[in-house]
Formats: sequence, C-alpha cells, structure tokens
Amino acid sequence: MALREKVRLMDGAEMERVLRRLAAEAAERLGGLDGVVLAGIHRRGVFLARRLAERMGPLLGGEVPCGELDITLYRDDLSTLSEGPLVRSTRLPVEVEGSKVVLVDDVIYTGRTARAALEAILDLGRPALVRLCVLVDRGHREMPIHPDLVGRVVPTSRSEVVEVRLREVDGVDEVVICERGERS
Amino acid sequence: MMVLKNVRLFDGLRVGEELMEIAIEGDRIARIAPSGATELPEGVFAVDLKGAIACPGFVDLHAHMRDPGFTWREDLESGARAAARGGFVAAVAMPNTDPAVDNPGLVRYVAEKGKAAGGARVLPAGAITLGRKGVEMVEMGAMAEEGAVIFTDDGSPLSDSGLLRNAMLYASDLGIRVMEHPEDASLSRGGCVNEGMTSALSGLKGIPPSAEAIDVFRCVALSRETGCPIHITHLSTAASVEIVRRAKAEGVPVTCDVTPHHLTLTEEEVLRSGFDPLFKVNPPLRSRADVDALWEGLADGTVDAIATDHAPYHFDEKDALFEEAPFGIASLECAVAVVLDAWHRRGRPFQLERLLELFSSGPLRALPSWLRGSFALREGGRANLTVVDPELVAQVEVSKWASKAYSTPWRGAVLRGWPVATVVEGRLVYRRDEE
Amino acid sequence: MRFRHRHVLDLSDWRREEYELVLDQARVFEELLDRPIKKVPALRGKMVVNLFFEPSTRTRVSFELAAKVLGADVINWSSSGSSTSKGETLKDTAWTLEAMGADAVVVRHGGIGAPHFLAERLRHALVINAGDGKHAHPTQALLDLYTAWKRFGRLEGLKVAILGDISHSRVARSDVQAFKAMGAQVVLCGPRTMIPLEVEALGCACEPDPRRAVEDAQVIYLLRIQKERIGEVLFPTESEYHRRYGATRELLELAPKDAVVMHPGPINRGVEIESAVADGDRSLILDQVKSGVAVRMALLFLCLGGGGR
Repeated sequence: MALREKVRLMDGAEMERVLRRLAAEAAERLGGLDGVVLAGIHRRGVFLARRLAERMGPLLGGEVPCGELDITLYRDDLSTLSEGPLVRSTRLPVEVEGSKVVLVDDVIYTGRTARAALEAILDLGRPALVRLCVLVDRGHREMPIHPDLVGRVVPTSRSEVVEVRLREVDGVDEVVICERGERS
Repeated sequence: MMVLKNVRLFDGLRVGEELMEIAIEGDRIARIAPSGATELPEGVFAVDLKGAIACPGFVDLHAHMRDPGFTWREDLESGARAAARGGFVAAVAMPNTDPAVDNPGLVRYVAEKGKAAGGARVLPAGAITLGRKGVEMVEMGAMAEEGAVIFTDDGSPLSDSGLLRNAMLYASDLGIRVMEHPEDASLSRGGCVNEGMTSALSGLKGIPPSAEAIDVFRCVALSRETGCPIHITHLSTAASVEIVRRAKAEGVPVTCDVTPHHLTLTEEEVLRSGFDPLFKVNPPLRSRADVDALWEGLADGTVDAIATDHAPYHFDEKDALFEEAPFGIASLECAVAVVLDAWHRRGRPFQLERLLELFSSGPLRALPSWLRGSFALREGGRANLTVVDPELVAQVEVSKWASKAYSTPWRGAVLRGWPVATVVEGRLVYRRDEE
Repeated sequence: MRFRHRHVLDLSDWRREEYELVLDQARVFEELLDRPIKKVPALRGKMVVNLFFEPSTRTRVSFELAAKVLGADVINWSSSGSSTSKGETLKDTAWTLEAMGADAVVVRHGGIGAPHFLAERLRHALVINAGDGKHAHPTQALLDLYTAWKRFGRLEGLKVAILGDISHSRVARSDVQAFKAMGAQVVLCGPRTMIPLEVEALGCACEPDPRRAVEDAQVIYLLRIQKERIGEVLFPTESEYHRRYGATRELLELAPKDAVVMHPGPINRGVEIESAVADGDRSLILDQVKSGVAVRMALLFLCLGGGGR
C-alpha cells in the first residue's frame, strides 16, 4: 500500500514547543515528583517519554523515572495481524504499586493501544493513578478512552495515516499526514 | 484366432525394426510374419499395437499374493490380474502365507486358484521348511510334482547353514533351485532403515549392509562347494553385487535378482518424506552408491533378473508410525514402468534388449528348465508374450489397479515406458488402450 | 523478519535468523517470569494440548507453565502403556484433538515421526515436537542455545563437547543442528558403540577421548545414559562408564576456566555426572530449566500469536 504525504502538521521546532507545553501541564497536574513514573509505549512513545521526562525534571525538581512498556501481549487483534508480531521489553524503573503512572504514546486513534497499555500496567501492580499523554489525537475512538494530556487534536479521515517521526528512529522530527494511495 | 499387428519383435537377442504380425491360435503362436505379408481371414480378432515391442513373456520371480491367510491384503485372483496388468505372463507366488505353502495340497491350491483368475499364470513357490520354521525340510519331491517351481523361506533367511546346504543338495536332484532371502538376523534385528546416513540422522535403528553380505557370501560358499545352484533374491548393496560378480567369474552356479525399488529409490526418501512407511522395506532402501552398483550389476550380467518383491498391504496397515508399520512395497502394476523410466533417466546406460532380458529370459534361469519352453517367442511355441512401449508416458493410476493394495511410493508418478498388452496361454489378459 | 514455521517438528530446515528470533523473544519473555502477576492475555482463547505418550514431568510442566503464562488454556493428555503407543491410537487421537478445537498440540512420543504423522493429519492445530523417540527434541536444543548464549554472550565460535550415547539421543541430534547453525563448533564424544556408524552425516567432529574433547570446550554437554532404551549391551557397567566418560571434578579440571556443564535432565548421579559437578558453580543445569519456560513461551507465541498464516 503506497502512502502519499499530504500535509506536514509539525516540524521539529513546533514539536519541541508542544513537548514543553505538555511537560509543563503534566508537572502542574501531577503536583510533585512523588511516585511519578512515565511509561512510554513501544515504539516511539518510549522516546517521547524520555524527552518529556527531561523537560519535566527541572519543573519538578528532580529526575523523573521513565520506562518502556510493550503492549504486544495485550493487543486484542493479535490473530488478525499478517506479520508475526514481536515482543519488546517492558522495563519500569520503579514499582507500579502505588505509583502515578503517565502512559506516553505518539498518536491515539481507536484507543485500543491505550486500553492494552492500561491492562499491561494493571498486571504489573496497582497504581495510585494512571494518566494518558499523547502527542496527537486523531479521533475515531472505538474505546471509551480519553487522553488526559494532548499535544494537538487533528481531525482525520479513516483513509489517512498520521505519522510521527522522531530523530531517534526516523532521523527527523516531524508529524505528517499521509493518504493511503492506490495499490500499485 | 487372434493377430497382434504392427509389433517390433524382441527375439531374445535383438529388437527388430521391422513391423511384424503375430498370429495366435489356441494357446500357440501360429505364425510370425512381416506386417501385411499375409492376407488375414475375415472377422479375425486383430489388435493393432502400433509399433510396440513384443517380447517373450515377462516373469516375476518374487511376488507376495498373501493367499491363503492374509487375503485382505491380496489374494491369488487379484494378484494374478495385477501381474497381468503389470505386463507379467507369470508370477511366482511366495509361500509365506498362513498356513505357509509347505505341502503338496497347498501347492495345488495356489496353482489352481491362480489359474482360475484368468490373469497371469501363478507359479507356486514352496517353503523350504515346515511352517517356515527353519527346522524340518518339506517334501520337495511331492510339492514339485504339484507344480512348485522354487523353494524359499522368503520373508526370513534360512539361518541353519547345514539345513540350507541339504536343501540345496536335495532340490538340485529335482532340478529346482532354492531361493534365499539374504539376511543375518542378529545384525538386522530391530532395524528398519539403512545403517548409514539415515540411521545417523533419524535415530532409527539401521540394518547394516553386512547383514546382507554375510548371507550372500554364505550362499556362494555353499554353492561353490556343493556345485548346487542357488538363487539369491532382492540384493540391495554394492557389497552383495560384488560377491556375486566374483562368484560368477569363477563359475559358481548362483543367480540373483534385484527389485524395482532398490533400483530407483534411496534411503534419503525416509527423511525427505517425513518418515512415510511407504518407504519402509526389507532390505531397506540404501545409499546412492548402492543403487549405482545395482545398475552396474544389471549392465554387466551379474544380476540375472528384476523381480518385484510385490508386498501388498491394506492401506491402514501402512498408515502408521514408521517403526510400527510392516515392511514392503507394492508395485506389480507399475514395476516395469518404474524400471524403464529409470533406465531413460539414467541416460540409457545399456541396450534396451538387456533390460528386456532382465524381465524375460533372466528370471527363467532361476526356474526349472522344463518351464523355459513355455516362454519362448517362436512359431509353434506357447503364446506367452509381453508387449512393451518404451516411449509411452503415462501416470500411475492406482484407481485402475487390480491389486487390493494401493499404497505405493509411485502413486501418481508420471513414468515413461509401459507394458501395453499381455498374452497368457494365447489369451489377451491385458490391453492398455481398452481401459 | 518473520517466523516461517507452522509446525515445529525438528530443526532440519531452520535458518539462523529464526534461531535468533527465538533467542531474542525468549529474553523478553524471561522478564515476564519475574513479574508478580505472571500472566498476559496474548494467547487467551487458544487451546494448547500436551499430548505426552512418554512420561515426563519436567518438559510437560515447562510447556504447561509457558502456555498458561501466555493466557492459553491447557489440556494435559498423558498416555503411557503399550496399547497407546500404536499408530492406530495416535490417528484416532488426532481426530479427537481436531474435534476439541485444539490450536496447538505439544507431543512427546516414543515413535520416531509421530509429530510428523500428526502434522499430516491435523487441519487446524499446529504441532510442536516435545521429543520423538531418538530422533529430535527441538525445544531442548533451543533452550540449550539460549542458556549458552546468556552465559557467554555469543554462540559463534563457541566450542561445545557433547558426551554420551549419541546414537540413541534425540537431544544430541537436535543440539548438533542448533549449535552448528549458530556458528558454534560441536564435537561428539562417547564409546564407539554409542556413536553412529556414519557420524559424518551429522556434520561435526568426533573425539573418542573425553579428556581431549573437553580440553578447549566452553560447554560440556552431558547426555543421560539410558539403560532402558538400550536393548543390546553397549557398555559393560555404569561404573565403568562413569570412570571413563563421567563428568567428574578431575575431568572438569582439564577444561578451560570458564567452561560450563549442561545436561538435559533428569541426571543420573554417579553415572554421566558426579554430584559435586551437577551441584557445583559451573553447572547451568538449573538455568536450563528456567530457560526452558522462557524459550517455550517464545516458541508458543511465535507459532500461535499473530495470524495471517
């Protein structure tokens, strides 16, 4: 399936501004460093979580614990995937029990990934609270899941794909909307 | 009266190029003449064989008809008809039945029931020992009178060398050979594949080539010493062929046969097929080097005959785990095609005539001399003929088989070179294009 | 890079990338086993049947645990006894499994080719070989690879000496395939009566003297001497075997300092291995058991999780 780039929503500078705003909002709403842990959802959520943690640290007065969460084992659509899925690490630097967990992902769409992430966290312990932070909300929710912290709300159609590109993975920082093209 | 038209003739030495006609009256060949040379009477039954080769009838020295006692696998009727469809005018029925054919009454039973089937002629083999127990010799004389053509405890070797020696001596007085299934049971015990690559990789217990060679050597030694003939069946290894080659060079009266499966399949099939018991046979499928040595034996005359060792089983019996399934490959109705096809694939390493000999005159060397006359292709002789088209390409269709067994490794295989007609005692018992 | 195999019958057609995939995923799954809640929903709704015709507690429990942690339903079907080793019963069992809706069948059977036999006849379920006669034990080889890899950080160039009854060992056959595929150097050692005649077909070296075999070996792999599997007399007595081929402290002294000892279990103390060695700090035997669950989880996940096949 060919993907055709349509529009660039954010460039690197804009992404940085959004991340700083999110970090500030998160710091304010959490009210302190105590028990806070960020959990980035593989794959790009992990890098976004680290950037957020870096920016939140000075605001909260200390290093913000940050880890990674793989939700492959919790997906509800495993049997429909054409490519055999691979599992990645789940590593959190602190116990989930009693923590204030902030799930971080690049895009929220149907909400199923976030639901799976929530289940994964709950299997690791009983958190005091869980918040969801995403860079882009593109709508079309199929689950009653709502992000608490959103970088940008972008209405999209189902034939579109929102791609968040990060320099750690893709060599560039930007967010683009692509259209699914004709099958060649 | 029947006329076979447009055949090339294999007279035992050469395949002629000229198209001939063979007129058959009753059970005799009335006349052999070039096509169109004589005026054919009105309304005569003529079969146009379109240039296929008419040969002295093919004889299978070794076929298991399972009758009496195991008739769910095969019986004398289905076996006789299968042999005819396979191009054989006669087949020697092995005596490892239940009860074993170890007395004159059972020899007669086999001969008569086989005859009534209207297929190939069934030549009874007698066991060497009572019940095939390897202890007491049978009444060979009485059995020979009823029609036994060879004596064998096949399925098992005759472990008691003293008994084997005596059997050879006694049988030679009757002009009949003993056939030995060469195997040293203490070496082969528990084995089910070749000892070599397959046993190393699979963990299945192997049967070493020495298990066969030791008994082949023993047979040759006994034959050399007594001067009595012996026939050794289903040789499978290079080592065995070499022993027979040297014996023949010395003039020892030993004859031997090889099977179509040992000529065309190797031990690699076991692993490749995921342990399919269709490839489980005794002696086991061997290495490529062994197969090549067997073909050399065909070429240089060390091997006298190709015999099928047709071993039919019910589908369920072969549909089991490898180690539990019975040994044996069913092949009567495609054996000739399997060998002809392989001969083509190997680049025709020797003349076609040699191959035809291995099916026709070769087997007769192991059988009593009084039989030979019945299978010669000549005017006035008995009409027992096999017509072969060595170029015909066709698929093995087990649904058309007369045999009760259809579990065969060649199911669905496309083979080149088939028998197209079989005439037994003047009757056309098989014709390919009439099906 | 995807996992191409539907069934896991033996390792004869496995490529290096596929081994690497299993090792990589096993590492992730091993972390799962350290969690308080050892359960994920990945294989929820899938039914795994443990079809064990040969007695085995450790392998069966290992598979059971692996399947259950992944959220699958597990049915244990054990049959031992002469009648049930006939192919006939295996056929009927296959139809029953199909009717039950099994998604995966883990089978251990004394008959070589039993998993292949089942795989041919099952339309829906996939088959994982937990040991077929003397032929293959693929999951053992995978967990052995994983254990060695964790310890040494590599498999390429590792020297592995396998000691014991090679002829009758499915573990030896599968381990040779696996270690070789990953670039390790394998040497086989045992009394000549226990080495296959055409050992070259296995594609690795053979060293008759155990002292030389262990000389530069990083992994000393011991096979269980099974008197019950051997019909003929292949060696005189257990004590003679122990003296000549047993993994004793003296033998280990000839090996490099970092050499480890592995064994598929259960061990025969005093026969192929001395207690002091089995319980010593160079022994990875318990690690193997732990690896077993993680590796089997990885395999079950790769085979059953994700569809589109």
